[in-house]
Amino acid sequence: MNRKLALVAAVAAAVAAGWAGQRLHSAYAPRTAGRGVAVPAGEASAPTAADVRASAADLAANAREGLGSAIKIPERLPQFTLNGLDGKPASLEPLHGRSLIINFWATWCAPCRQEIPLLQEVDATWRARNFSVVGIAVDHRADVARFAARLKIAYPLMSGEQDALDVAAAFGVVDPAFPFTVFTDDRGRVVALYLGELREPQIRLILAVVQDLNADKILLPAAQLKIKHGLQAIAANNA
Amino acid sequence: MSTSRLPGARAALFLVTLLGVASVAGARPWWLRGAAAGQDQDFLPPDAAFRVAAHIDGNRILIRWIIADGYYLYRDKMQVAAESPDLVVYPLSLPPGARLTDRFFGPRIVYFRAVEATAGYLRSDFGAHPLQIKVTYQGCAQAGLCYPPIVKVIFPDELASAATAQTSNLYSAWELVAIFGGGAAFFLAGLVLRKGRRLPVPGP
Repeated sequence: MNRKLALVAAVAAAVAAGWAGQRLHSAYAPRTAGRGVAVPAGEASAPTAADVRASAADLAANAREGLGSAIKIPERLPQFTLNGLDGKPASLEPLHGRSLIINFWATWCAPCRQEIPLLQEVDATWRARNFSVVGIAVDHRADVARFAARLKIAYPLMSGEQDALDVAAAFGVVDPAFPFTVFTDDRGRVVALYLGELREPQIRLILAVVQDLNADKILLPAAQLKIKHGLQAIAANNA
Repeated sequence: MSTSRLPGARAALFLVTLLGVASVAGARPWWLRGAAAGQDQDFLPPDAAFRVAAHIDGNRILIRWIIADGYYLYRDKMQVAAESPDLVVYPLSLPPGARLTDRFFGPRIVYFRAVEATAGYLRSDFGAHPLQIKVTYQGCAQAGLCYPPIVKVIFPDELASAATAQTSNLYSAWELVAIFGGGAAFFLAGLVLRKGRRLPVPGP
């Protein structure tokens, strides 16, 4: 009887010792496994202690390359097909020969929503001058349709998810950020890509230059320079 | 476009082309920044605008975002979820933020510069896997640009804080009790088993 009791005690002791060993392992093993592995490879590293001490301004100043620097806009309007709000395939083909203002946006994006009234006004004012506004929503079609109905958006809208992101990438915007707007002349050349919310002085400047380009009053490189300097002047005035 | 459509423009074209080449050679893109950005700066890539790291602090995970100047994160878009097996992560506990009123979305709570959130967790893998969580967040630039929701899988590392050290010591004490107790139980069991038995001892 005593021997049986002793065997049970020995087994219980072995289990207890095993449990304790496992606890020790679990307490120390993850610490070494986790060290130095912050985020998936290829992504930005997690902040170090020095980063935490640094101000947010320092972080911004230390960013090697801005989002705009990474954008390589195509010379000509890329061809693509997305779905219209009715769910049927739609392309820019019916607008061939017109200058386009192609606005990439999303319903969850506040500055995108903010600039839509301006685009509606531009569409109404400049339609007679051979300009057309087209909206490309990188979003769920139902959400886009609801929002478009609420704002009574009259210009053509297309929407898509990954396919719309692919179209954005075809315009050189590989790391998506919204809104951005592409301006083309009536020959399908990409004149400018504006990243961020458009405001009236900027859009008026760009449209006036594209109009001059269409009328052969200016050449494409000069038009692009004029837009560049004009936008810099507007930014300087706002500063 | 051909220059014949613009008689006498050849010299101007040459000059402008030169200027264009010089501009490109300057490697400074001109398309562009938001109108409100009055200085010569570009928008930041999302990973530079918002940097995130996570640490284990006792029985909670501490997640910290560093937000660049002029950028903000939406409070209601910040989430955390378990990624490694046998891990449960509870919802984020977030500090009060700033109020930002949007014409369409109404008032929303946002964070500028930095935010630190905590989430309790429960793991039942006994340390078999490195702890791995998935954080989701979304933000914008004040100059008028928004980034789609960002999802990152991260491995929180352990904070060497006093609280953690205390907890470790506590665990260690119980573990030592279990180990030495186990050893003592083995010894006692051996004594009981030996009782009444003689081991053959080799003679001189």
